[in-house]
Amino acid sequence: MIVLLAVTIGLSTIIVFPSFSEAESELKTFVTHSGKVIRTTGEVIDPLYTVSEVEFDPMEYLREFNYGKVSKLEDGTTVREYTIIAEDDKVMEVSPGVFYNVWTYNGTVPGPTIRATEGDLLKINFINNGSKEHTIHFHGIHPAEMDGVFEIVGPGGGKFVYEFEAGPVGVHPYHCHVMPLEEHIVHGLYGVFIVDPKEGREPADEMVMVLNGLDTDFDTENNFYAANTIPFYYQHHPIQINTNELIRVYVVNMVEFDPINNFHLHGNLYTYYPTGTDLVPSFYTDMITLSQTERGIMEFEYTYPGKYLFHAHKVEFSEKGWVGMFLVNDNANSDESSVKYGS
Amino acid sequence: MAASDTSKFKVAASGVIPFAFVIVLMLYIFGPGGDLLDFGIALPEITIEKVDFIDSEIQATVRNTGSIPVQVVVADVNDRIQPAAVEPDGYLERYETTLVRIPFEWNEAEPYRIGITIDDGTRFEKEIESAAFALEFTLDLAIFFAIIGTYVGIIPVMIGLLWLPFIKKISKQKYHFFLALTAGLLLFLAIDSIEESIEVSNENLANSFNGALLVSTVVVLSFLALYYVGNKIISKSDSLHFSKPVAIGLMISIGIGLHNFGEGLAIGAAVGIGSIAFSTFLIVGFALHNTTEGIAIAAPMSRGKLMIGKLAIMGLIAGSPAIFGAWIGGFAYSPFTSVVFLAIGAGAIFQVILVLLKWIQKENDGNLSTLSVVSGFAIGMLVMYFTSIFV
Ligand SMILES: [Cu+2]
Repeated sequence: MIVLLAVTIGLSTIIVFPSFSEAESELKTFVTHSGKVIRTTGEVIDPLYTVSEVEFDPMEYLREFNYGKVSKLEDGTTVREYTIIAEDDKVMEVSPGVFYNVWTYNGTVPGPTIRATEGDLLKINFINNGSKEHTIHFHGIHPAEMDGVFEIVGPGGGKFVYEFEAGPVGVHPYHCHVMPLEEHIVHGLYGVFIVDPKEGREPADEMVMVLNGLDTDFDTENNFYAANTIPFYYQHHPIQINTNELIRVYVVNMVEFDPINNFHLHGNLYTYYPTGTDLVPSFYTDMITLSQTERGIMEFEYTYPGKYLFHAHKVEFSEKGWVGMFLVNDNANSDESSVKYGS
Repeated sequence: MAASDTSKFKVAASGVIPFAFVIVLMLYIFGPGGDLLDFGIALPEITIEKVDFIDSEIQATVRNTGSIPVQVVVADVNDRIQPAAVEPDGYLERYETTLVRIPFEWNEAEPYRIGITIDDGTRFEKEIESAAFALEFTLDLAIFFAIIGTYVGIIPVMIGLLWLPFIKKISKQKYHFFLALTAGLLLFLAIDSIEESIEVSNENLANSFNGALLVSTVVVLSFLALYYVGNKIISKSDSLHFSKPVAIGLMISIGIGLHNFGEGLAIGAAVGIGSIAFSTFLIVGFALHNTTEGIAIAAPMSRGKLMIGKLAIMGLIAGSPAIFGAWIGGFAYSPFTSVVFLAIGAGAIFQVILVLLKWIQKENDGNLSTLSVVSGFAIGMLVMYFTSIFV
């Protein structure tokens, strides 16, 4: 009987116990993506980045092009010199509260967007300040010994100078090519290399979007997807563009583990130049599909102002961060010619 | 005087000195600078112990079951990231729990995978086979559970007790057969409880609870505690105006009661997670199965005076915990408490088996290996096995 009594008391305590968790702290309210309002006395966890918290600024990365230190040879050839430093010890907050060990070129994922004109002579001074071997492998046309595959650069200050002529025209990735390759790429050792045609492209508001994923728990599946590394960033910080202004997006798919990625634009269609090597567009569409390191150039103009989503139509990816928004501002007297690229 | 002081000191010293060496040894192994043992990098770990589906919301109870503190930072449903609230907060010390509230328009009867990611980017998930509204406490539902508990626990045990007049009239040999049958029935129940508790532990508790060891520890402790209390009851049975058969019957009832509490938990939890078919199955199976428990109580009691009132109380002690179990399982399910209660039940039953065997041995002039005892034990196990197939 005593045992039964003890059991009964124990059980009633367990029933009553959950009510203890109702702590008397302040009530917060938040609105979810679907518009539902939630009240809580606890903490709100939301993949929403405020500007002050971001170590890597996707907005700055979007329109930043690195033309190198320019000089001329006697024959008039333009020489562009860049310095890229690899590191692999940085722990970055990639999504609110999520700390991940990124491997970086010049401190960021993706690395700097290198830009040159077809025929320029490029000198890329590579320094490996990491603790592992790294290289840079450029997609494009160059001599075998400039390919960054067999020329392993040792850790702790190893150096190599990649020298080649810029080409072909288009948008290309560059990335580390040390084995195990997947590990080096998925940690963040990649970037974009743009080669402009000699005659230049039509003036436009240009931007780079690297579609990437983060496997933060190393199970060879991505936990987060993004355009330019930070999940949901451009959704909470829409990219401001103008009506009737040509927008040119250099899009590069660097997603690992998943066979395809894609890019869907709302309220519009774009002309698409696969790899950007041909100056005549191949498609006029709102949806392209990209396999690993597939890339191209998208061009479009918005007629109507307002908010427009862009995202992976592989919805899983968009719901894990690869989603953004254009905020199209009414621009009655746009001055397109003020933006000049390729200088 | 001085001499006795010295000798006391010597005794104390001889007790303390080895102990001091133990401390020195521990300091050497684990203390600062002790690099003999390197346990490697401590990995964080959390366990999603429970997922409740309520109106437009999914609630996950998360426990830090690793050895280092963690921060809950991302919640997802089917691998799709969702904004969420964490109450009281996302920072969890070892074994601390928190409630993650994910606003989500879920659909009934569909499977869901709930994921929680912590600060180092590791994601943990729990799969729910079929979403159903979490039971909220209502009087109607409480009464419903009480009725089910009565059908599963009290009534079958009472029916089983009706065999008592029959057992009373049979020969000593046959009586021993029935006592052994009872022991066989009980042994089966104990093994069943252990199996069930290990299963609940494997499915819902983190490895850090050491499920099988937790179960064995609780089984042994409850066995020892009840063994001690049980012997007290039997030795005092005369002064307490119980007869020895009543004392044994009482202990059997308590052991079975704890076991039926576990059955109630299982039914309540099954209703709670909305698996109606499964809960119906459990109700029918347990009810059938539990009539045999009545025989277990009736067998030893049959040698005392026939006391309808005491017998009814025994039936209640054995059967009514099913009601409590159904309430807890339905309204306040916690895998940890289920594991513990099931293990207590098993320990209680083991001690009852021991008492029964001693009783038979004494009645049978120290002999346990008669045909009636052995066949009774075996048939007890077989009866339970076959009725369990229905569960
Ligand atoms: Cu590398």
